[in-house]
Amino acid sequence: MKICFLLRVALQFVHEMQHKAQKNFDASRDRSLPVFGVGVAFIDESAIFPVPSHEVDKAIQDMNLIVSNLAPPKKELHVVPIENIYSSDSSDGRSRLKELLDAVSDATGKEDLRLHLRMLCLQKIAFENGYNKLVLGSCTSRIACHVISATVKGQGYSLPADIQYVDSRWEIPVVLPLRDCLAQELNILCRIDSLKTVEVLNGSCSGINGLVSSFITLLQEENPSRECTIVRTAGKLTPFHFNKIPDSLDSDVHLASQRRHKKFNIKPNKSISPESFCPICNSPLNKSDMLSLSSLESCQMSADTFGASCCPSCQFQILPKDSSSMEHFCSILPQPLISRAKDGSCGNQSWLREQIQDCLLSDSGDET
Amino acid sequence: MEVAEAKSKKAGPRQCSTCNERRAALKRPKTLEQICRECFYAVFEEEIHQVIVENQLFKPGERIAIGASGGKDSTVLAYVLSELNRRHNYGLDLFLLSVDEGITGYRDDSLETVKRNEIQYGLPLKVVSYKDLYGWTMDEIVKMIGLKNNCTFCGVFRRQALDRGAAMLKVDKLATGHNADDIAETVLLNILRGDIARLSRCTSITTGEDGPIPRCKPFKYTYEKEIVMYAYFKRLDYFSTECIYSPNAYRGFAREFIKDLERIRPRAILDIIKSGENFRISTSAKMPEQGTCERCGYISSQKWCKACVLLDGLNRGLPKLGIGRARGLNNGLEKDSKQTNGTKNIQSKQCGTLDF
Amino acid sequence: MQLTLEFGGGLELLCNSVKVHNVTVDPQDGEEKLTMKKLLSWVRTNLIKERPEMFMKGDSVRPGVLVLVNDCDWELSGQLDTILEEKDVIVFISTLHGG
Repeated sequence: MKICFLLRVALQFVHEMQHKAQKNFDASRDRSLPVFGVGVAFIDESAIFPVPSHEVDKAIQDMNLIVSNLAPPKKELHVVPIENIYSSDSSDGRSRLKELLDAVSDATGKEDLRLHLRMLCLQKIAFENGYNKLVLGSCTSRIACHVISATVKGQGYSLPADIQYVDSRWEIPVVLPLRDCLAQELNILCRIDSLKTVEVLNGSCSGINGLVSSFITLLQEENPSRECTIVRTAGKLTPFHFNKIPDSLDSDVHLASQRRHKKFNIKPNKSISPESFCPICNSPLNKSDMLSLSSLESCQMSADTFGASCCPSCQFQILPKDSSSMEHFCSILPQPLISRAKDGSCGNQSWLREQIQDCLLSDSGDET
Repeated sequence: MEVAEAKSKKAGPRQCSTCNERRAALKRPKTLEQICRECFYAVFEEEIHQVIVENQLFKPGERIAIGASGGKDSTVLAYVLSELNRRHNYGLDLFLLSVDEGITGYRDDSLETVKRNEIQYGLPLKVVSYKDLYGWTMDEIVKMIGLKNNCTFCGVFRRQALDRGAAMLKVDKLATGHNADDIAETVLLNILRGDIARLSRCTSITTGEDGPIPRCKPFKYTYEKEIVMYAYFKRLDYFSTECIYSPNAYRGFAREFIKDLERIRPRAILDIIKSGENFRISTSAKMPEQGTCERCGYISSQKWCKACVLLDGLNRGLPKLGIGRARGLNNGLEKDSKQTNGTKNIQSKQCGTLDF
Repeated sequence: MQLTLEFGGGLELLCNSVKVHNVTVDPQDGEEKLTMKKLLSWVRTNLIKERPEMFMKGDSVRPGVLVLVNDCDWELSGQLDTILEEKDVIVFISTLHGG
């Protein structure tokens, strides 16, 4: 429910930026500032939640209306069922997905896995349709909940990765423009600007996430600045090197944005060692949690090595405990997660190779 | 409770998962194992011993004060430390150190408990009182300032009183009974208040190594449930009345949240501590420079230490002096506690037993 | 059914500062056995004199209150579903008081 009006504001915001850019483009002769394209993605999760199909259809219809009613340039609406994370040729995606989620016994783990899969799906849509950025509508209230629940799940190390404006550890960098807006404010904005919103049933939070969200609600009632304080505290944690727009992005885009913000010039920090990531939730792994990983030398991916490459939180709340269930669990995981694990375990060597190559070929010297 | 022992037959197959012999008496929150009393005592004490050894909390020959309030945590700490000191030849001189805030009907009763502990465990006891140190009892302070901010006075005074008592005992270190639940709660509270400096420190097992008396928390990884179970099974003598000047102080949102979490996922308490240990906090965001108070010589980042500022206000009949904050960040929280006096509050032990 | 109920860790303050209560509680009409769930609602009605929210939350004890049935953690005997027998000793201890 929330995500919809949040997204609605994000959409309006991006739309207005685009609209302005279009006007500038039309007015000026400088063709080096191309207007960016905007699309809207909606993940249909009815495969997981038993929502009456007419409700889903209605929601999609409404969304279509909202998107098509925005002034040009035209925006595409991508409605994609979540089971699409399995390659499109396998027709049993829906049942595999159900089976995968059923294999997770912990209620919170199930919920979190669903969120990870949704992200995977969004990434896939963005990638396949040639988008350069993925805009999420996460607001202060939602991020405050994430700060607390990540803390409760023992993910204090990776937490700062998730709450920055930019998160480019993904194939398509993710941006959170609404990070500093409260849910209430966005709600009011939608009302006074009469921005139509859509309600989609997303299943209620249970377990840890539900407890955290009612805790935050309680605190927010007691003090209306509590959510901001929580996000501000977490904002003081040190972000990761991928929490900025990568330099390698399409150089045209980069040039254009450099023109817009003349002083803004990010150089990649090549001296930082690469992070390893949990193949399930993609959070950067803490060195001390990776001790068990160092013993795995080959790039061969068995269920055991997959399990060992996951973060402790996913190991506890998502992965099955006994080895035969684990075997089965891995066999029904979507391919991208498996390849993430493979990349992860071989990543260090290839990085080392790159570093050596850099040294061998480099003549500019001062960059590293 | 002999009757209860005899009735164990109906318990049926619930055997201890460690010895496979005796009847299980509790479910360990840390491991979810069902375990009998004897195996519980053994593993409870052994884990604390391991924490002490791995973190090198004590060195042979050291004099150690145990901050003793008469409550469950410090009572169990005194008992377990004297036990481990004997069993593993730590070579420590242990002392009990209590603060008498001067609260009739509360501290006088709990001090009786500590005095019994002195005899039961054979540990010398030192009591330092607010009256002696500051010239005021909490009863007198409350008479003057009422029930607002009294916990601020008490917290500031206690912290310093413990240090002064420790100095009088000439101890090398002060051990406090903060348990895993307390530390998890403090991590959350520091996030809720935006206190990044405290957030970076609050999970340290030893603190104040640069100050006069370092403090350590041997129960950092010990669940409150196990401490209470241990005290109950061992019939340890502890005092469990809430302070009369901070009624409902334990009804904090954060504490309740921790207990709710524990019910659905006991390991959440240790996970919060783990998060606290692993937070990426740059070392530049560290504490303000420490000097000494011009008036009493206690460590202070300001000209006068907080206790002297508060005391000066009391003595001049202007008790509000020093209540306002020098730093901006905590403002919101202190205001909350004033507004919601008597009702729920995010801070649970506002009376200062949770000072880190 | 005769039961001994003990309140500790500060909970005794909720029932006139009396720690040990010898009580007779019988299963409600139509039911043969007395469960902890029924006992808790009985205690709430008959023994708790003030601030019942300190003792209970929903139909169970408030998180942070430990329960032992014949000196055995009720988490091992099925919590609310624990079936009580004649002369059982039930102990409630709050962990929330004092440090």
